[in-house]
Amino acid sequence: MPLRVSFDDFPTLGKKVNGKRLVYLDNAATTLKPKPVLEKMVDFYIGSYSNVHRAVHTLASRATVAYEEARMKVAKFLNADPSEVIFTSGATMGINLVVNSLLRSGILREGDVVLLSQAEHHANLVPWIRLSKFHGFGIAYIEVNEKGVLTEEAILRGKEYKPKIVSVTGHSNVTGQVIPLEFVREVFEDAILVVDGAQLVPHKRLDVKDLGLDFLVFSGHKMLGPTGVGVLYGRKDLLEVMEPFLYGGEMIDKVSFEEVTFNEIPYKFEAGTQNIAGVVGLGYALDYLEALGFDSLEEHVRDLTEYLIEELSKLEFVELYGPLDHSHVSIVSFNVEGIHPHDVAHVLDQEFGVAVRSGHHCAQPLVRALARGTKLSNFPNSTVRASVYLYNTKEDVDVMVEGLKKLKGWFG
Amino acid sequence: MIYSDAIMDYAKLRKYRGKIENAHRIEEGKNVSCGDEITLYLVFDGDRVAEVKFEGQGCAISQASTNVMIEVVTGKTKEEVIEIAKNAENMVLGREFEAGLLGPVLLFQEVGKYPMRVKCFLLPWKTLQIALER
Ligand SMILES: Cc1ncc(COP(=O)(O)O)c(C=O)c1O
Repeated sequence: MPLRVSFDDFPTLGKKVNGKRLVYLDNAATTLKPKPVLEKMVDFYIGSYSNVHRAVHTLASRATVAYEEARMKVAKFLNADPSEVIFTSGATMGINLVVNSLLRSGILREGDVVLLSQAEHHANLVPWIRLSKFHGFGIAYIEVNEKGVLTEEAILRGKEYKPKIVSVTGHSNVTGQVIPLEFVREVFEDAILVVDGAQLVPHKRLDVKDLGLDFLVFSGHKMLGPTGVGVLYGRKDLLEVMEPFLYGGEMIDKVSFEEVTFNEIPYKFEAGTQNIAGVVGLGYALDYLEALGFDSLEEHVRDLTEYLIEELSKLEFVELYGPLDHSHVSIVSFNVEGIHPHDVAHVLDQEFGVAVRSGHHCAQPLVRALARGTKLSNFPNSTVRASVYLYNTKEDVDVMVEGLKKLKGWFG
Repeated sequence: MIYSDAIMDYAKLRKYRGKIENAHRIEEGKNVSCGDEITLYLVFDGDRVAEVKFEGQGCAISQASTNVMIEVVTGKTKEEVIEIAKNAENMVLGREFEAGLLGPVLLFQEVGKYPMRVKCFLLPWKTLQIALER
């Protein structure tokens, strides 16, 4: 079924930037927010807002019900149990929680090996790297090829490290590659599998049980939801034996001056007052996406990605990165020969109203790895990145491509 | 548009590119958020900045800014250079500054309108300041 997006729901797209129609192609950084989601959040704030799980008054009970409804929606979306859904501030916090709690519970120990990939966002690199310095576990990498792609052969080679934990992205925010998670699970049968779903989840309905994921993290703001809220899915038996990450109110059972026992899952991982309206808003965003249909969304984004790659490939002065095949979804990184990505992005914005990202996309090692395959005379250690989502059209791609042609002419 | 012909010409200038083998000071500067990097090589003659070259890469703004900076500071005393650097920063941050000190640095005045690009302009200046204050 074709995707039926109401553009009235995204008034931002009707605004002009620099006198031009806004062409928003920075969805991998964050998505626009549908007006109905925002309106429902306002209604919630006005009519049902209070702190959750604590007081007995009417507003408190409405807020608690709304908050727990959001948890139920997420659980259903992932095919998880609600007790396995922990609300966080985002993907970054989710990874930090997993690493710290695994260490504190002795599940990850000195001498163990954690296998990451070279395609990771800093959020799935830095917590592991830093904590390995204090706790003496080892880190190994699945290597990317010269296009920044993780091949099945490379994934298989990771086996030789006998990792206890495998933590990989589900969808690279630089190359746009969707990682074959079924294959990863198959290869590392006994490892604890952590998936960074920050880019994948906004595009695909995942079944965590079917895929055999042990942990999955993602952020609400990349899937039409508000900022400051995200989800950690964790397998129940693991969560139950894991030490909490943050300590404080709500996550406790009994507290004396000497001892503390913890609340049950998921509450033991939700210390302090949560981002209540954010959680509720994420639930609304999920409703919105489900109403559109994930299958239609996926098809729309795949078609657009294909078109984007096709059109960019026609420009002989553009170098493209990533797999450029069926596994390439939404995100396309490229460079314009002789023009630095910041200059490309600046001119696209100022002269054509096109919002794209330029830089290293919080994945410095991966972007540096792209230098191995470059044919540019001077690889800038950064790229331009265009990323499409449900409200983008072929016309958006055309505006950018025309912009690139003109810009190449101006800069020479 | 900030990409005036004059700025583009400075961006492409080759004259100040390269290493100085026996430099008195070598300073690396980086914009962590975007990955731009430069290395400045400085030669002093007493209290004067006698020669400067640079290596590295970045956007047209940071490259042009580096070339203009080198042109402007060469032959000046360290004290004068620090004064110019402060005024260059004030200019781009929209504060009061002394235009008479800046010469071709004034080409970049418009960069101040683009908060995301200010750091591109400032990269060489910040790097130079650190080199001189060490
Ligand atoms: C692949 C990937 N992982 C993690 C993150 C971090 O997400 P957040 O900044 O929302 O915590 C991002 C966001 O840029 C991402 O693209």
